[in-house]
Amino acid sequence: MIIDDEESARKLMRASIDYESLGMQVVGEAASGIEAINTIDELRPDIAFVDINMPFMDGIEFTTVATGRYPNLIIIIMTAVDQFEYARKCVSLPVFDYMLKPMVRAEVTKVLERAKEKLESSETAYSEELKSAGESEEEISEEGNLGEANATEVIKKYVKENFTDSKLNLAFIAQNFGFSSSYLSRKFKQDTGKNFVEYLTDLRMKKAIKYAENGYKMYQTASEVGIPDPNYFSRCFKKYAGMSYSEFVAEKCVQPGTSVS
Amino acid sequence: MRKFLWRRVNELNEKKTLSSSLKKVILGIVLSTVAAFMLATYVITKREQIDYGMRDSENVLRTLSSNISSEMEKYMSLSRLIMTEDRLVTFLRASTLSVDIGMINDARYGIMDILNVTEGVDTVMVFREDMIMLATRNFMYIYDYDRMDGNEWKQEIYDGFGSTVVSLDTFGIAARKDSKAVVTVGRAIYDTSSQKRTGILLMNISNNVFERMLVRIRYNNICILGDDGTYIAGNKGYAQYFDDYFLSEKIKYRNIKIGGESQLLSGCQVPNLPIVILRVSPYGMEGIPFRMLYVLLFLLTVFMIIAVYVVLFIRQTITNPIYELSASMENNKKSGELRKIDVEVPYSELEMLEGDYNSMIDHVNELFDELVEKEQTLQRAELRVLQEQIKPHFLYNSIETIGYMAMDSGAEKVHDALETLGSFYRNFLSKGDREIPLSREIWIVKDYLSLQKLRYGDILEDEYHIDEKTQDFVVPKLILQPLVENCIYHGIRMKGEKGKIEITSKLVDGELHLTVKDTGVGMKQEDIDKILCSKREEMDSNDSESFGLWGTIERIRYYAGRDDVVRIASEIGEFTEIEFIIPNKSALASRGE
Repeated sequence: MIIDDEESARKLMRASIDYESLGMQVVGEAASGIEAINTIDELRPDIAFVDINMPFMDGIEFTTVATGRYPNLIIIIMTAVDQFEYARKCVSLPVFDYMLKPMVRAEVTKVLERAKEKLESSETAYSEELKSAGESEEEISEEGNLGEANATEVIKKYVKENFTDSKLNLAFIAQNFGFSSSYLSRKFKQDTGKNFVEYLTDLRMKKAIKYAENGYKMYQTASEVGIPDPNYFSRCFKKYAGMSYSEFVAEKCVQPGTSVS
Repeated sequence: MRKFLWRRVNELNEKKTLSSSLKKVILGIVLSTVAAFMLATYVITKREQIDYGMRDSENVLRTLSSNISSEMEKYMSLSRLIMTEDRLVTFLRASTLSVDIGMINDARYGIMDILNVTEGVDTVMVFREDMIMLATRNFMYIYDYDRMDGNEWKQEIYDGFGSTVVSLDTFGIAARKDSKAVVTVGRAIYDTSSQKRTGILLMNISNNVFERMLVRIRYNNICILGDDGTYIAGNKGYAQYFDDYFLSEKIKYRNIKIGGESQLLSGCQVPNLPIVILRVSPYGMEGIPFRMLYVLLFLLTVFMIIAVYVVLFIRQTITNPIYELSASMENNKKSGELRKIDVEVPYSELEMLEGDYNSMIDHVNELFDELVEKEQTLQRAELRVLQEQIKPHFLYNSIETIGYMAMDSGAEKVHDALETLGSFYRNFLSKGDREIPLSREIWIVKDYLSLQKLRYGDILEDEYHIDEKTQDFVVPKLILQPLVENCIYHGIRMKGEKGKIEITSKLVDGELHLTVKDTGVGMKQEDIDKILCSKREEMDSNDSESFGLWGTIERIRYYAGRDDVVRIASEIGEFTEIEFIIPNKSALASRGE
């Protein structure tokens, strides 16, 4: 996964490395830390390239959040400025490597090879773990369906109350309520008919429409509903409402009282 | 200056100052001297007064005492005369049975004949051995017959063996009816031919004798008493001060208070008589040694004048010049200029101080110059190193080569981008000039923005309203680029919508007004205030968000030499507008080109 606020940089990163020969593929991109938090649960990458200098949630903050939630994720920091302060912060974080822009392909490939080695060595241990985890999961489901049905309700309630927290995502919920995220994802879809990300985005968009009706600026609405990155918010909104935020506001002003569902 | 000086002095007063402690010391000396003077004067005066009083009293008492003695002597001789009077001798010699009233009267007349020529004898009593008595003024007295029959008083007289024995109040056997005290001279009478004791003679001397004596010598502050304290004559009020202490022929003194005033009480016993004289005398002015006091007073005045002079001298010549020195040093500090000071000082010690300060100033100035020179050298060196690092020619050549390669392979866009990059760097470096014409600064911004558009896609558009007259106006290099960068990163990109950057320039009163307006998220008033008011120390260089903008503002302020050259207006969610006012510095510009 490539997380960088510059589109051309992401494209270059995607195009310039021969991932296939390394046995890898790029599962997705994110233009900000906020977007990454919201999409990472679906993409489930093994390796993440993270740019430090991003608006709304910088690489340092993202790395702090991510290392807590995804202990097996390999994070490679990228930055255009070799500022001492950043370097110092990175050192205290468990990142895999630290690379200076402009990136040189040979170096990137070398780092990825090392990452692959690390992943393969932990693969065996991980699969074993997964096996035992699967067993225990079954045990839990056998133990009490009622309790788990309740759990979904509790989680829904929790999400409703906390969706304005921009760092909220599936992994966080799973960690908080003591499930594995893959199990929670399955269970949530089973119980509600929606996957978690959809559910969360729906909640946020409903709220956003209310703000839009009141004529809020997009960036203000975005930060109010828990997606402080207006670019990502704008895409979410368009997907949800079928039109851009500004179009929506304009229409709302021409025809007051019309609601878009 | 004067006021300032006093403020300094007041500040210093918290601690010790030379002048204040000097004042204290001098004041202390003066006060203690005056106190000592007063004490000495008091003691001397007092002693002189006492001595004088004592001498005076002694004279009076001695005179009076000898007067009394000689007076008594006179009466004793008189008693002898009475003793030998014929009719009395007849009375005494007659046998008891032959004594009759006629004989007694004869004897009385005989005595009275003698007494007629004298004064002061109150009465004369004569007792025969068989206690038949006669008295000249019988009716004036009350007799104590019990005592009269006893032997005690007789024995007292017999012990004199014919010479006189003086006592008070008729030896206790009789007292005057009006209780007036009398002095009694008593003696045993012996017959001249048979030498046998034939009787006793008592002669009472009236207290008037003593009163007269006192009137004669004109003293009203003397009291004459019996040795048992009985008042006889003079000032009766003093009788209360009598006690046995004064039963001495030597004069005794005592200090007493009468009506709150201190007085000298002196007294003594008249030799061989049962009479005590007491005298009370005030400590008069006569005793004060005025001449000595005048000398002391003169010395004191001289001393005080010297003390005051010393204070004034020290203030005039030491502390005031020090304050002046200190004030001019302080002025130096305040003005921020390190100039030598020039203050008139009266003494070479202070001149030394001034000289030291001045040479220190010289030294500091030298150090400053050295430091500035070092700094400049260092800056030049750093700039060289920087340019060395950038290697502009190498960069330009590489860009050109890559540009050609791109065009050759049909990538027109890449060629355009490289061209823009090359142009940006050429203007950006500007041969190291610090000030450039506005037109070139605009080019930098245009190139910068087109490169940014390449990076971030179509997120912004830019508009320029550049007044033709301002094209050649000289501005400090790179004042617009940080502003525009700020617009993108903290304005437009935060909003997530397409934004616009407008750059306007115009001339107002010969000054360049440069405005950069963006349609970003706007700035909060508190952030604006922070940016405009912060000092270097408050600005955290790691807080890069606003440091770029702040640094640019500081540069422009420094360039213009004043603070009111920046204005920021903003509406949250709508726009931010930053306006710079840059004065014309053609002189600087010509030097720079």
